[in-house]
Amino acid sequence: MHRVASAGNTSTSVRARKEKRLTYVLNDAHDTKHCAGVNCLALSNSSSPGGSEYLFTGSRDGTLKRWALAEDGATCCATFESHVDWVNDAVLTGNNTLVSCSSDTTVKVWNGLSEGSCTRTLRQHSDYVTCLASAEKNSNVVASAGLGGEVYIWDLESALSPTSKSSDATEENCSNGVSGAGSSLSITSIHPNSSSNTISLHTQSQGYIPVSAKGHKESVYALAMNDSGSLLVSGGTEKVVRVWDPRTGSKTMKLKGHTDNIRALLLDSTGRFCLSGSSDSMIRLWDLGQQRCVHSYAVHTDSVWALASTPTFSHVYSGGRDLSLYLTDLAVRESVLLCTKDHPILQLALHGDGMWVATTDSSVHKWPAEVHNPQKVFERGGSFLAGNLSFSRARVSLEGSTPVPIFKEPSFSIYGTPGIVQHVILNNRRHVLTKDTADTVKLWEITRGAVTQNYGEVSFDKKKEELFEMVSIPAWFTVDTRLGCLAVHLDTPQCFSAEMYSADLNIPGKPEDDKVNLARETLKGLLVHWLIKRRQKFGSQSSISGEVPSGKDVSTRVLTTSRVEVDGNAHNDSVVFPPFEFSPASPPSIMTEGSQSGPWRKKITDLDGTEDEKDMPWWVIDCVMNNRLPPRENTKCSFYLHPCEGSTVQILTQGKLSAPRILRIHKVINYIVEKLVLVKPLDSVNSDGTFAPGMHGATGVDDSSQTGPKPWQKHKPSIEILCNNQVLSPEMSLATVRAYIWKKPEDLVLNYRLLPSK
Amino acid sequence: MGATGSKLEKALGDQFPEGERYFGLENFGNTCYCNSVLQALYFCVPFREQLLEYYANNKSPPEAEENLLTCLAELFSQISSQKKKTGVIAPRRFVQRVRKQNELFRGYMHQDAHEFLNFLLNELVDILEKESHAAKSLAASSPKKVSNGTCNGHANGVKKEPLVTWVHKNFQGILTNETRCLRCETVTARDETFFDLSLDIEQNSSITSCLKNFSSTETLNAEDKFFCDKCCSLQEAQKRMKIKKPPHILVIHLKRFKYMEQLGRYKKLSYRVVFPLELKLSNTTENTDSEYSLFAVVVHVGSGPNHGHYVSLVKSHNHWLFFDDENAEIIDESAVQTFFGSAQEYSSNTDHGYILFYESLAASKS
Repeated sequence: MHRVASAGNTSTSVRARKEKRLTYVLNDAHDTKHCAGVNCLALSNSSSPGGSEYLFTGSRDGTLKRWALAEDGATCCATFESHVDWVNDAVLTGNNTLVSCSSDTTVKVWNGLSEGSCTRTLRQHSDYVTCLASAEKNSNVVASAGLGGEVYIWDLESALSPTSKSSDATEENCSNGVSGAGSSLSITSIHPNSSSNTISLHTQSQGYIPVSAKGHKESVYALAMNDSGSLLVSGGTEKVVRVWDPRTGSKTMKLKGHTDNIRALLLDSTGRFCLSGSSDSMIRLWDLGQQRCVHSYAVHTDSVWALASTPTFSHVYSGGRDLSLYLTDLAVRESVLLCTKDHPILQLALHGDGMWVATTDSSVHKWPAEVHNPQKVFERGGSFLAGNLSFSRARVSLEGSTPVPIFKEPSFSIYGTPGIVQHVILNNRRHVLTKDTADTVKLWEITRGAVTQNYGEVSFDKKKEELFEMVSIPAWFTVDTRLGCLAVHLDTPQCFSAEMYSADLNIPGKPEDDKVNLARETLKGLLVHWLIKRRQKFGSQSSISGEVPSGKDVSTRVLTTSRVEVDGNAHNDSVVFPPFEFSPASPPSIMTEGSQSGPWRKKITDLDGTEDEKDMPWWVIDCVMNNRLPPRENTKCSFYLHPCEGSTVQILTQGKLSAPRILRIHKVINYIVEKLVLVKPLDSVNSDGTFAPGMHGATGVDDSSQTGPKPWQKHKPSIEILCNNQVLSPEMSLATVRAYIWKKPEDLVLNYRLLPSK
Repeated sequence: MGATGSKLEKALGDQFPEGERYFGLENFGNTCYCNSVLQALYFCVPFREQLLEYYANNKSPPEAEENLLTCLAELFSQISSQKKKTGVIAPRRFVQRVRKQNELFRGYMHQDAHEFLNFLLNELVDILEKESHAAKSLAASSPKKVSNGTCNGHANGVKKEPLVTWVHKNFQGILTNETRCLRCETVTARDETFFDLSLDIEQNSSITSCLKNFSSTETLNAEDKFFCDKCCSLQEAQKRMKIKKPPHILVIHLKRFKYMEQLGRYKKLSYRVVFPLELKLSNTTENTDSEYSLFAVVVHVGSGPNHGHYVSLVKSHNHWLFFDDENAEIIDESAVQTFFGSAQEYSSNTDHGYILFYESLAASKS
C-alpha cells in the first residue's frame, strides 16, 4: 500500500565521500568549440579604436571562450577553463575583467584578454551561483546570486589581490585555479584589511568578505544592477522582485505580481524602470519610483528566460522556452516576432545593430535586430498587441501558428559541437557508448580518451544490444555527461578493482600474463605530463625515493593503510602503455581537489608539476609516483573443481581453489591437464612432475604458466569445463562465469570432463 | 447486552432498515482497533457486498486453507445472516487469524487502527492475487476449468494485467507525482497507486485545507536536488502530488500521532480538523470535482498514542450509529462534529476522528 508522505520517508543525508575523487573530462577534438548549451554572453566594449571586438561565451561544458569578431567570421582565441560545472553567467567589467559564476558554487575572475588565466576564485556561495550583475559605470561592483537565496555584492578591487597586474600570465595561470599553492604571494603585503599572518591565495576569502544582501527565502535566478551600481534587483522562485541597495545590502522594496519563478531582469541606466521576465510567460515593466507594475506584456506562450533592451529602454527583446525572440515596444505595447530558434533561448546580448542569441544548443547566432531603429522592424508588419496572457495563448491556438518571423536566417554563426546526452558503460568497462544532440552514436575507449568508432545516426539502444559482451569486470569508474562530454569519475579504492591481462590489452613487450590495473595505468596516462614536469622541477630523486614533497602525511598514511604493491620492474612501470595514452592533440582535462584547494579543472598538458597533495588527492599521487595502491576488495575468486558426474577423470586437488577473477577458463583447463590422473595414466604426466604433491586445499592456480611446449602436451587430452551443466568457452574469465552462468553468491563450482578423443 | 440491542431496535422502530444488522463486536483485550475498523468496513456497502459474494462463491471447498480473507468473509456473513437484528458477535476466528498472521498484533497492546487497516487491505489483495495466479495456472494446465469460474471468486479479476481485484476497485486511487525542473522547466510525471491518503494536520483546519497542503508544491533543493534527464545534471525542482484517479472509497488517515524529536516519542495531536459530511476533491488532475459523502469514522479516544480506545461512527440508511465494541447506539448526525478535535491543547474531549471513510457520490449513483 502506498503510504503518502509517511514519516519514514526522510532521505538519508548525503554521505560524505571519504576521499576526494579525480575526474577526467574527455575533450572533444575541437577545443575551439563549445560542446554544450551556452548559458551566457558578454561583449567587450570596443572602446579602443582598431582594437578587436570580442564576444565571451560561457557554457554548460564548464568553460568560457573568447571570440575575436571580424567581418568574415569569429575565431576562438582563448578558452577559460577552471570551473568544474556549468558556467551559468558572466559579465565584463572595466579593464576587460571577466567575471563568471558556476554551478560549482564559485565566482571566478579572469583577465579577459589573457590566454585564459583565472586571477581569483571567490568561494563564498554554498550552492549553485546562477547569475551575476555588474554596474556599467562602476567597474568595481559585481553582484552574484544563486540557489538558497544567497546574494553577494563584491568590491572587486578589495576582493582581488593585485597579482593580475604584476606577474606574467603563465605564472598566474598556475597559481589560481590550482589555488596558488606554489605562489608565495600573500594578500597581506598589499591589502591592509587582511590579517597579519601570511595567508596563501586559496584562503583569501577570509581576508575579504563581500556585502551580503539577506532576505531571500528561496533561490535567486535573476539579477540586474543599474549603471552607477546604486540599485540591485533580484528575482527567483519567491515570484517577487526584490530591490536592494548594493552598497549596504539593505532591502528597499519588494514587488509582487508574477505568479511563477522570475528568470530574467533588466534595469534602465537610471534605475527608475525595471523589466522582469518570468516562467509565468509574462514580461512586466515596473516603475521603481512608484513601486508598482506599470505594464505587463503577454508576448510569449511559455517561460521568458532572457531580456535585452534598446539603449533608450524604449523597446525590449525577449526570448525563452517557446524558442521565440520577440521585440516589444514598451510604450505602445506592440510586439513582433523576430525569429524562432530550434532551442530554448537562454541569453541575449546586443551587438551593434544585431543581437547575439545563446540557447541550450552549443552554437550561438547573431540575428539582425535593428537595435538603433527598432521602429524599422515594425514597419515590416506582422506586429500584434501584447495583450493579456489568455489573449496571447488564444492567438497561438486559434490561428494555429505563431506569427511569421521577420528574419529567417542569422547573420552570423559560431558553431559548437553536439553535446553528449546519453551514455552507457559497456560490460568490458573500457568502452562507453554515447549519443549526442545530433543523434550520432559513438564508441569511446575511456582509458585513452578517444573515439574508436563513429556509428553515425543509428539507434542507440540497438547498438547497445549489438555490443553486448558476456564479460564481468568490476565497475571501476562512473560517468556523467552534465558537461556535454564524458566526465569519468575515479574514486578510491573501488577504482583499483579492475585488472586485465597484458595480452588482452595488446601491450607490446610486457609479459602477456602480467596483470594490468586499469585505474593505475589510466592515472599514469593522465598524469604523465605532470610527472615529467615534476621530475624536471624537483629532480628524479624525489620520485625514486617515493617521497612526495611536503608529503610526510602521505607516507605515514601509506604505511598504515595501504598495501604496497610495487611492480617487479619499477622502471618499466613508469612507461605509459599504448592503451592508456591520451592524445596530446586533444588532451583531457582533470577535475579534482586536494587537501586545501577547492575543486579545479585543467588540461593534463597544462599541469606544471607543482601540483601536490594540497591540489590533488593523496591517493592519486601515491599511485602515480610510488606505485602504491590502497587496500581493496579481494581480486581473487574461489572455486571448486569437480569431475562431471560419471566422468572417469580425477585430479588430485579436491579442495577449494583460488585464482584471479580475470583468469580465463583455458588456464583452468591447462591446470586440469597438468593435474590429471587418468584411469589409464599418461606416462608423461607422472614423469614430468609438473604437479607438486603439496598442492592441496586452497592452492593458487598458477596463471603464469609455462609457455614452452612440454613433451606431453603433444598428446594433451581434451578437457572441457562446465558450470551449471553449460559448457564454458575457454575465453571466459572466472568472474564472467560467476556473473552470467553460476549466478549464485556461493563459491563457484566448475565441472570438468574428458572430451572423446578425435 | 441484549438490552442494548432492543434499545437500538426501539429507537429505530419501524424505520429499522430491511435486512440490515447492527451487531456489536466483542473485545478480546485491546482489540478495539480491530473492531472499529471492521465496523467501518462492514458498513462500506460495496465492499461488504463483494466480500459476501466472494464468500458465497468460495465456501464450497472445505479443505481450502483458512486465511484472513476467508475469516473476514465468514465474519461478515455471520453478521448479515443473524436472525436477530441487533446483538453482539465475537469475531474470535478473525482476531486469532490476525494475531497468527502478524506478530505486530499478537500482543494485547494498544494498536494503531490505521496500521491495521493497511495490513488488512494489503493482505486481502495478496490473497486475491495469489488465488488468481493459481486459477490462471490451473486454467493453463486444464482449459476445462476456465468456465467454472468459482475457483477465483471474481471472474473479472483474472483477465487484466496488472491484476485489479475488487479490493482495488473499491479503494485504489492513483496519485501523480509531478516534478518540474526549475532550470529547463520540463515536467516529469510519475504515477503511484494508493489505498488511503495520510494527511498532515494543523490546528483549526479542515480536510479541504489538509488536502490542499498535501498537493502543495515541495521544492527539491540544496542537498536534495533532482536529477533532470534533460539537463543531465542535478537541478532544483518543484514537486507536487495530484490525485489522478480518485478512488470509489476514499480513506483519509489523519496523522494525529506525530513523532516529537525533542521528546523522543510519539505524541497525539488533538487538533480540531473539520471533516465535512460532503467532501469535494479539487486537487485532481482533471479539473472535474469529485464529490464524496462521509459514511464512517474511526475515532481515537484518549490523550496519548500508546493507550486509549477506538470507536466508530457509521452511517447506515441515513442514520448515524455509534459502535463501541459490544455496544451500538443511534446518534444524531449533528453529533459527528463533536469528533473534530479540540481547539485547545488540553481539553477534556479526547474523542477525535482518526480515519475517515468517504464514498464517491458518482459511484453510488451509477
